[in-house]
Amino acid sequence: MNTPHHLHPLSAVTIALRGGFIGFTIPFFLVSIASGIFDIGSPAWGLYLGPVGFAIGAGYGIAYYYRFEYELTENTFDVSSGVVSRRSREIPYRRIQNVDVRQGVLARLLNLATVSVETAGGGDTEATLSFVSESEANRLQRDIRRRTADRGDSSIPTGPESGRVAKTTTEVSGLRAGDPLPEPRSAHVGGPRSSEGASDEVSEPSFDDGTPDLLFDLKPRELLLYSFTTLRPAAAAGLFALFFFFSESAIDILLTTARPFGGPAELTEGTTTSYGILGLVSIINGIVVTYAVSVAYTFATYYGFRLGRADEDFVYERGLLQRYSGSIPAEKVQSVTVTDNPVQRAIEYAGLWVETAGYGPDTSGGSKSAVPLARSRRVYTFAENLTNVETPRFTSPPPLARRRYLVRYSIVAAVFVALAFGLSLVSPLERWYLAAIVFGVVPPAAHLKYVHLGYYVGDDHLVIRRGFWRRRTTVIPYYRVQTISNRRSIFQRRLGLTSVVVDTASSRTFAWAAPTIYDIELENGRAVASTARERLQTALSERRANEDEAGFSVDFT
Amino acid sequence: MEALHPRIRILWIAQRAITALVLGLVIAAVDRWVIAVPTVIILGTVALVLALGIVYAILLYGRWRFELQDDALYLERGVVTFVETAVPFVRVQHVDTQFGPIERALGLSSVVVYTAGSRNADVRVPGLTPERARKLQDTLRNLAVESEADDAV
Repeated sequence: MNTPHHLHPLSAVTIALRGGFIGFTIPFFLVSIASGIFDIGSPAWGLYLGPVGFAIGAGYGIAYYYRFEYELTENTFDVSSGVVSRRSREIPYRRIQNVDVRQGVLARLLNLATVSVETAGGGDTEATLSFVSESEANRLQRDIRRRTADRGDSSIPTGPESGRVAKTTTEVSGLRAGDPLPEPRSAHVGGPRSSEGASDEVSEPSFDDGTPDLLFDLKPRELLLYSFTTLRPAAAAGLFALFFFFSESAIDILLTTARPFGGPAELTEGTTTSYGILGLVSIINGIVVTYAVSVAYTFATYYGFRLGRADEDFVYERGLLQRYSGSIPAEKVQSVTVTDNPVQRAIEYAGLWVETAGYGPDTSGGSKSAVPLARSRRVYTFAENLTNVETPRFTSPPPLARRRYLVRYSIVAAVFVALAFGLSLVSPLERWYLAAIVFGVVPPAAHLKYVHLGYYVGDDHLVIRRGFWRRRTTVIPYYRVQTISNRRSIFQRRLGLTSVVVDTASSRTFAWAAPTIYDIELENGRAVASTARERLQTALSERRANEDEAGFSVDFT
Repeated sequence: MEALHPRIRILWIAQRAITALVLGLVIAAVDRWVIAVPTVIILGTVALVLALGIVYAILLYGRWRFELQDDALYLERGVVTFVETAVPFVRVQHVDTQFGPIERALGLSSVVVYTAGSRNADVRVPGLTPERARKLQDTLRNLAVESEADDAV
């Protein structure tokens, strides 16, 4: 069992081709630089050197394949790689945050998969195996997950509670993740068994065939609602990139769309009015297309989303063309967030995310979707079951905070009007003062920001709510708090306000800033900080007394 | 509450002086190769940046405080944004002492405390004498080991 493994033989082909391609292009590049800039040699040399480079690159790729080995040892997952310089990496199981399996369209046809192993440290995936066979990927995911669970338990010293601990261990050993999720079953998983090692998992006769329990699957209706109510800024970025690559055909399309509405016949011949129409139609066109791309992307990404539990782990799978599956150990969950945007709030739907310290294939770093979209009431119940938090009664910041936003947005509006005025000086823009209309948006904007702020200091959790466009309600167990800060800008100090930043080990991302309670009175902010510190200590001593406490309940639906 | 060593002001002023100098050189380069900039503006900018830097360094020194409390390392600092941070000992991953070339010349040292957090993941206490830094590092390490919970990651 503990012998080094190679990647799937087909990956030798892909790595060799990739190496060969790089090897093929580099001589052309070098030769063109040498002949073009330094006047050495002729561009024709590239034709001879290219195939040589291809052979070297391909050879390197094949050598890389043979020199790439991975192995599941008793305590660590080992990966050694490198042709010229060797790197051997040992990842202790108990440090592994999650194991993800990714399959592109082609890979699915060839039964291949990419496995990535994430730990908390570093800004990168710790180990990537591309490619292994699909069954090997599932085996790895299952074995690593099981060994991670075993390590977690074996590190607990024996004591009066050991009977209970041992029982958990046996339950862990009998189950597997990574297998396709079954239909919902009411059957109770994993009875008490008399075993201690992971070795007997196959021989154990049981009604349990080793498949995880289904916790949540995304219904077609929910998938459609999720696709249509989620706007992905990345879609706009992707379209911009496409526009730059295919600008001619893109402009043609824009012109054709604008023509029936009175746009110019050609880009070079038009009047001010027809250009105006072209601009307006193009903007609408861009918005519609971005939205369509965003809907399609969300649909394809979350198609067939299913979340299950395998002992103390969450396992999920999703994707229409590219399949993702992953496992998240419940004990690695740092915080839980409920998100909704204005449209989802209007139809009373919301989503549930869990944050871990690892990096994942999701764009939002260590934040993973547990329930992409469901009825708000269900989602809030899920969040409460998952974290065992009591129903929060939110406290709002003082009205002074709203005044602050009023001033802040007024400044933004003033800058906008000033820009319009500046534009009127250098362009034929008239009636720049009409831009002052934006001041009308300021009071509702300030109010909306204010009403969506709130916090709740619970017995074991801190609940923080903020944001209007993407409202996030984050539940942080005190046990997960890393540092806690009171930040006061020069303006906040004048008003006696503070922002409490609660840092956890969930991954650093640009989109998801550390949970912050904005603009509460200084004394309340300090009280929150000291309460959080006290309760962290209490939680720690409680956990010492009762090691079995997981903090998160896996059966939350 | 403990203040930093007064010499840290010299370090901060020296850093700002370097910034001001680099800025001056950049403007001088612009003046030389791109468009003419009056000498007064170059000198004025350098003087202004330097003056701001000095005021900032003095204010920052006046506000920097740290303390070892029962359960956490507590720090207060900041001129524009004033930040009070508590780093619970249980969350300390490791502790470094560091010093750069200017710090070495001034006989100063910094203690850097690492947590698993994503923000303020490294908390730096600058302006300590090497002995104080060593002692703080030892104390923090002992407290972190004493509170021996797993790191919750």
